[in-house]
Amino acid sequence: MNMVRFILKRLGLALITLWILSVIVFLLGQVLPSDPGRSILGPLAAPSAVHALDHQLGVDKPILTQYWNWISNFPGTSYQYQAPIGPILGPALLRSLKLAIFALIILVPLGIVGGVVSALNAGKPIDRTISVVGQTMLTVPEFVSGIVLIVVFAVALGWLPVTATAPPGSGFFTQIKYLILPVIPLVMVLFGYIARMARVGTIEALQSDYARTATLKGLPRGVMIRRHVLRNSLLPTITVIATQTGYLIGGLVVVETLFRYQGVGLLTYNAATQHDIPMLEACVLTIGVVYMVVTLLADILFSLLNPRIRLRAAE
Amino acid sequence: MSIVDIPVEDAGALQAGRSEIRSEVFRQLLRSPTFVIGAIILIFWIICAIFGTSIAPHSPYAQNLEGINQAPSSAHWFGTDQLGRDMFSRVIVGSRDILIIAPLATLMGTVLGTIVGLVMGYFRGVVDDVLGRFVEAFLALPVVVTGIIALSTLGRSNLVIIVVIGLLFTPLIARTVRAAVLLERELDYVAAARLRGERAPYIMFVEILPNVFAPIMVEFTVRLAYAIFAVLTLTFLGLGVQPPSPDWALDISANYGVVPAGYWWEVLFDALAIATLVVSITLISDSVQGALEE
Amino acid sequence: MSRGNSELDRLRAGRTELENHYIDELVSGNVSRRDFLRRGSMIGMSSTLLGAILAACGSSSSKTASSSAAGTTSTSSGPVTKGGTLRIGAVAPAAAVNPLTVSDAGGLLMLNQTGEFLIFDSNLKLELQPMLALSWSPNTDGSVWTFKLRPNVTFHNGAAMTADDVVYTFQQLSDPKNASNALSAFAGVLTPSGVKATDPMTVEFTLEAPNGNFPYLVSSDNYNAIIVPKGTDFTKWQSTFVGTGAFKLGKYTQGVGASFVPNPNYWGTKALLDSTTFNFYMSQAPMILALQGNSVDVIAQFTPAGAAAILNSPSYKIIKLPSANHRELSMRNDIAPFTDPRVRQAVAYTLDRPGAVAALLSGDGSVANDYPFGPRFKSTDTSVPQRTQNISMAKQLLAAAGHPDGFSTSLKTEIYQEIPQLAQVIVEDAAKAGIKISPTVETQTLYYGKSTFGNSDWLDGTMSLVDYGDRGAPNVYLTAPLTSAGTWNAARFKNKTYDGLVKQYVAALDLQMQQQIAGKIENLLLQETPIVYPYWIDGLTASTPNVNGLNPTSIAQLYLNTAYKSA
Repeated sequence: MNMVRFILKRLGLALITLWILSVIVFLLGQVLPSDPGRSILGPLAAPSAVHALDHQLGVDKPILTQYWNWISNFPGTSYQYQAPIGPILGPALLRSLKLAIFALIILVPLGIVGGVVSALNAGKPIDRTISVVGQTMLTVPEFVSGIVLIVVFAVALGWLPVTATAPPGSGFFTQIKYLILPVIPLVMVLFGYIARMARVGTIEALQSDYARTATLKGLPRGVMIRRHVLRNSLLPTITVIATQTGYLIGGLVVVETLFRYQGVGLLTYNAATQHDIPMLEACVLTIGVVYMVVTLLADILFSLLNPRIRLRAAE
Repeated sequence: MSIVDIPVEDAGALQAGRSEIRSEVFRQLLRSPTFVIGAIILIFWIICAIFGTSIAPHSPYAQNLEGINQAPSSAHWFGTDQLGRDMFSRVIVGSRDILIIAPLATLMGTVLGTIVGLVMGYFRGVVDDVLGRFVEAFLALPVVVTGIIALSTLGRSNLVIIVVIGLLFTPLIARTVRAAVLLERELDYVAAARLRGERAPYIMFVEILPNVFAPIMVEFTVRLAYAIFAVLTLTFLGLGVQPPSPDWALDISANYGVVPAGYWWEVLFDALAIATLVVSITLISDSVQGALEE
Repeated sequence: MSRGNSELDRLRAGRTELENHYIDELVSGNVSRRDFLRRGSMIGMSSTLLGAILAACGSSSSKTASSSAAGTTSTSSGPVTKGGTLRIGAVAPAAAVNPLTVSDAGGLLMLNQTGEFLIFDSNLKLELQPMLALSWSPNTDGSVWTFKLRPNVTFHNGAAMTADDVVYTFQQLSDPKNASNALSAFAGVLTPSGVKATDPMTVEFTLEAPNGNFPYLVSSDNYNAIIVPKGTDFTKWQSTFVGTGAFKLGKYTQGVGASFVPNPNYWGTKALLDSTTFNFYMSQAPMILALQGNSVDVIAQFTPAGAAAILNSPSYKIIKLPSANHRELSMRNDIAPFTDPRVRQAVAYTLDRPGAVAALLSGDGSVANDYPFGPRFKSTDTSVPQRTQNISMAKQLLAAAGHPDGFSTSLKTEIYQEIPQLAQVIVEDAAKAGIKISPTVETQTLYYGKSTFGNSDWLDGTMSLVDYGDRGAPNVYLTAPLTSAGTWNAARFKNKTYDGLVKQYVAALDLQMQQQIAGKIENLLLQETPIVYPYWIDGLTASTPNVNGLNPTSIAQLYLNTAYKSA
């Protein structure tokens, strides 16, 4: 029963957050110093034409009216593409999800193993190495790692495709093959962070009373690690992964551009630079929804793994 | 995780004990090789940032349109770029902007995030719920989008970049701090402090804060690297530092396109410079963390 | 060449006064054979006729008629193989593909896949060729142009093309209410009421003022002017791509790509391929990698900056087209110290133009002089001396103008292709004469702003460096950025003599006349130097060696009906 109430409460809070997000994004869109008419017609069109188009798009109506129009017509029509946003955003979201999930499948085990190994060998060279390697990798921007990967593995060696977009109708394994190269920059960027968080959690768990008692009582290290330590090293890791949702779904402009993969990141970026307000708002809200779902799952997982929080929340 | 477990009565001794511990920690650091190596590298780059133009063999701005894209040689140790400028000089002088922007942005984000996280984690209830909604909303916004909008509206000065990155990091750090505070507030010393009649700010900043210092330190180090990453991405999108600055981020963004042509030196040395900077910070923070853990 | 020539006399009979004037020029040797061909085709003389006249004059290298299709093979090697799919990498269209509003390279490339124009401006032959119009001619002063349409042309929807469709198209394009991008060509030249069908196969354009270069304005140079069926809703054109071309639409997906299949009822050379697939890219780097990685066979158009990987490699075929693509460095003639022409000239003298062409364009371009006439335009007066870098001259001029130690100023420009690099070259070169320029490089949206005076860094910057795309005639470059009432006059150049000369140039029907006036304009601009023109950039297309028959234009169109992939 407690769990159900917990979930319902979280859902309610999530909806409020989404609403706040929609207002923030709308205001941000208003704040942008430009007009959509100009963006559509280009820099060389006559001002009168731009003005006419702006009026047609309803840009000069009062803010509340615009907000209401947008909400009631969600997701609406893109200024830039002059087409409904739904059919463009839907497939893009799917692509972003595929890439993100594939990245996480590689990243999470790798990060946790790295973190646990670091923690078990705290202070020793292997710990330092993992830490330094992780930190260094994350400063290599995706456009550098991406282009090097493409030049080496796709152009010079020809092992993998140059693009991430598999031909339509490709099977599961073909799609994976196309996603291998783009996933690597993502893993490089996030490994250091995940490993670090896992390390912290593992060290705490190892030093906890429970762990020390268990060892004193003669419980084999391996068993103790699996039963107790791992679970607690997962806690901060889960939090971290949830917070990276915004980046993984909506922040991958560079990877999507370099590997020609139309995901939500690219759509959002273009919308922001072209001042395609409906598209921008639809994208950001979509990212927001995904983020809410992910954090809700993460919070549930967190409280399942850490009974103290769940009990407190129920009081 | 507590740094020090001290009974309540020794509160006074606690203060004295802390400063003693601090100087002990510092001495320990100086003996640690990782700290020393990290510090040396960092100081090297700081010197480059301040005195770069005097140290560099050529002017980082002098172009030579007849000698573009030359591979490293004895005349140009790091080769020349697309306008024939000496890469070695550019790498030396290019440390300036990153060394200013990244740490300041991270510091701002950490300080703000810690305050917000402490407040949310300690008070919980309504305060936590309301603040939490805003924190979550901002967390959902991708850095790139907010960066574009902010920098388009407010202009592209270094100050704006620092504030933007700092504000964008705040929710993340707040969340981590909050999680740590949630665990801490259940412990005895907090209850004891409340029983003693200490007020909330005291409990938050004097009692709890030192005990959640470790995850904050971890966050700071990681955030610093991400701040550099954010500057790189924003510069790549045209919203960061202005040319002809020899800033590392700018050079990498401008030259990455010629890597397929084989002009690897135009990107590698800047990337290595960034890597060494990050390594130095990592080494320093790791050794500080290790010293504090003892 | 000047014999009492009965063949020539026969050909002369029935020609207009203007056409005979041209023949006179040819016969007397005032015009080269090549120029005669160009001007003649411009005023609507068919290739057959031109060839015959040249033959009658004893010319041995006359061009023979080949005006069937809008396209000639550019490079042919390898046996002609039918079938297969050609994969083309192109920059993604910036917005909806609406023929009226397209203003970017990605969008216009899509228009010409299925759409066609009245006239085709062939970069390869530097002449105007009939496409949907078979012939065209002006009245005596060039204020009314009459076009005879090609019969038996059908649209992809099955309807036959008639004069009504052409009239509809041009009325929509020239109507200010529609805010078409084509207004940049038609404003002040053509209004909707000036377009009439005089019979089902003839269209008459009555212009606002005489215009000797009008055929260019309805040619493929005016990339919005594809002929569509009467009554077409342009905002929905993207879902049908209806036109008269050799290909019709397969599928179009925003931001991802498009595919086209052959039109079996095409009036000209039918397509050899089974289909074409376009992959859209958001920037050039991944596009080049795609060619290297064998993900595409062709790159429709690219800029030399950042393309060293394929330019330096012998494994790719590069097609180079002379183009009028250029950059303009304007200086605010109304802001000190640029109020003094000597200061402006000084800036021009600091620039190392050949160095910039070599370094920024990998040599794929040509040095420009400080006026918008260049190798792409036949009317250019080439006798005017080329300005070269001369730092001491620059310093002298500055001293004479009262700035012996130079001065400080600012420059605004955009992030686009090689322009940020060019800005840095300009800054460094100017510093040699003591001029300290502090540059600001911004995204295009910020740089262009609202594109109106007072609201745009482009138009308001004390110094401003902007890009100008290719056009078949220099008219737009002469008017919008430089005339007193010009809407793109970032330099705030206001010179009555200049305005008068431009008006004369625009009205001139005669190549000789145009060249004469061009010479005066060139010298005036060299004196005044409101704008510095560093270079002209070639149009480049790249493909793998087994691709043949590509027909690109310098404004980034690509015709594919004669393209094929050999094994």
